[in-house]
Amino acid sequence: MQTKQTVSIIGSTGNMGSAIARSLAKGNYRLLLLSGPNNTADSLADEIKSLNPGAEVESIDCCYNASWEADIIILAIPFGEEFAMAEKIREVANQKIVISIANPLNGTYDGLSTSPDTSAAEQLQKLLPNSKVVKAFNTSFSTNFNQPVLAGKQTDAFIAGDDEEALNLVSDLVETTGFNPLIAGPLSMSRTLEGMQLLLVQLNIKNEYNWQAGWKILHN
Amino acid sequence: MYELFFKSLNEKIALTKEEEEIIKSYLTPKKLRKKQYLLQAGDVCKAIAFVEKGTLRAYSTDEKGNEHIIQFALEGWTISDLYSFITGEPAQYHIDALEDSEIVLITKSAQDEILKRVPKYETYTRMQLTGAYMAMQRRLTSIISLPVEERYIQFISIYPDIAQRVPQHMIASYMGLKPETLSRIRKKIASK
Ligand SMILES: NC(=O)c1ccc[n+]([C@@H]2O[C@H](COP(=O)([O-])OP(=O)(O)OC[C@H]3O[C@@H](n4cnc5c(N)ncnc54)[C@H](OP(=O)(O)O)[C@@H]3O)[C@@H](O)[C@H]2O)c1
Repeated sequence: MQTKQTVSIIGSTGNMGSAIARSLAKGNYRLLLLSGPNNTADSLADEIKSLNPGAEVESIDCCYNASWEADIIILAIPFGEEFAMAEKIREVANQKIVISIANPLNGTYDGLSTSPDTSAAEQLQKLLPNSKVVKAFNTSFSTNFNQPVLAGKQTDAFIAGDDEEALNLVSDLVETTGFNPLIAGPLSMSRTLEGMQLLLVQLNIKNEYNWQAGWKILHN
Repeated sequence: MYELFFKSLNEKIALTKEEEEIIKSYLTPKKLRKKQYLLQAGDVCKAIAFVEKGTLRAYSTDEKGNEHIIQFALEGWTISDLYSFITGEPAQYHIDALEDSEIVLITKSAQDEILKRVPKYETYTRMQLTGAYMAMQRRLTSIISLPVEERYIQFISIYPDIAQRVPQHMIASYMGLKPETLSRIRKKIASK
């Protein structure tokens, strides 16, 4: 696609948001960067522009306006903040792609706070019934965006959603960040994807991978 | 966000509140900054844009990079690369914003769903297309049969608001004239 898509990253100042912003700036996207209420994304926008002089990147305060301008909205905020955020952007996110990257880990990192018959992504879809929620990026650590190749292999990044066109657009977006996009299935597959990251977090802690670990489907 | 869109619909087909809500659920609200593209030639035109606020234009470019404007769209108008929208083939036109704009996008799949659930929307689309076709015929006749001076006079009398809001070099491009030629014609008319 030649037409630049506008991507709003809500929570761009965080670990994941900033990693996603830095890598998307290399692609054909126009980025609108948002922070929480007591911060700004100005310095991140400046940093990205100095590293990628051609990049169209802007720090913006209002999540409503940013979502109104956006073609694709990435929610890179903690899971618990998504309910209030969905209320704020629902009207302007109508029919748009909203990417859920959240892993609803509990406070002790040994379980998920969602019940087994749902997922963070499906809950977001319920809050934004006319948006196209797509699960992506949740199975990668923010520390992997610098180096999506682990042990000589390009890490997989799983994607789930119910709208085929949205899945393809998000697949392109994931590819831009250097991961290997792999469409896993419908949005309900997010239950598995969120569980996979719980497992990876636990293995990381137990085996001291130092957050340098990821998923790869091996096949012939 | 959708005021003009529903005003335009209700002028042609009276909708119940319920029907409005159904249609609303399929619309994509979008803001464009001045000079931002909605569509670049070569991509598929996925949606028809209804202008709530601002101005957009559709144009093609030749090998020399000259722009040929095919249509302007002000508040209340729709704009798209219709051929690409209907066939799914790559678009021939670029569409961009001449001012900061607010638009409502109706994608192909949204349109299909709306047509299924609110059948009288068909009447609206037919009236829209008929209107566009008539305007196109008039534009074509004017281009192939009227002297340039009369073409310009006709243009400003039919579209006074475009003539006011759009820079002269774009109006020249829309009329298939060099900017110098248009400026000469305007001087001539003014001196009459
Ligand atoms: N870290 C990882 O490796 C990883 C991996 C996969 C998925 N995830 C998921 O990614 C999401 C973000 O995680 P993170 O580690 O990047 O968190 P983080 O570093 O704490 O960043 C959170 C971001 O959200 C913003 N924020 C917080 N509350 C907000 C609110 N009410 N309104 C607007 N913005 C708000 C923060 O803004 P301020 O800068 O203003 O505080 C910050 O930009 C979580 O859902 C997590 O499950 C994380």
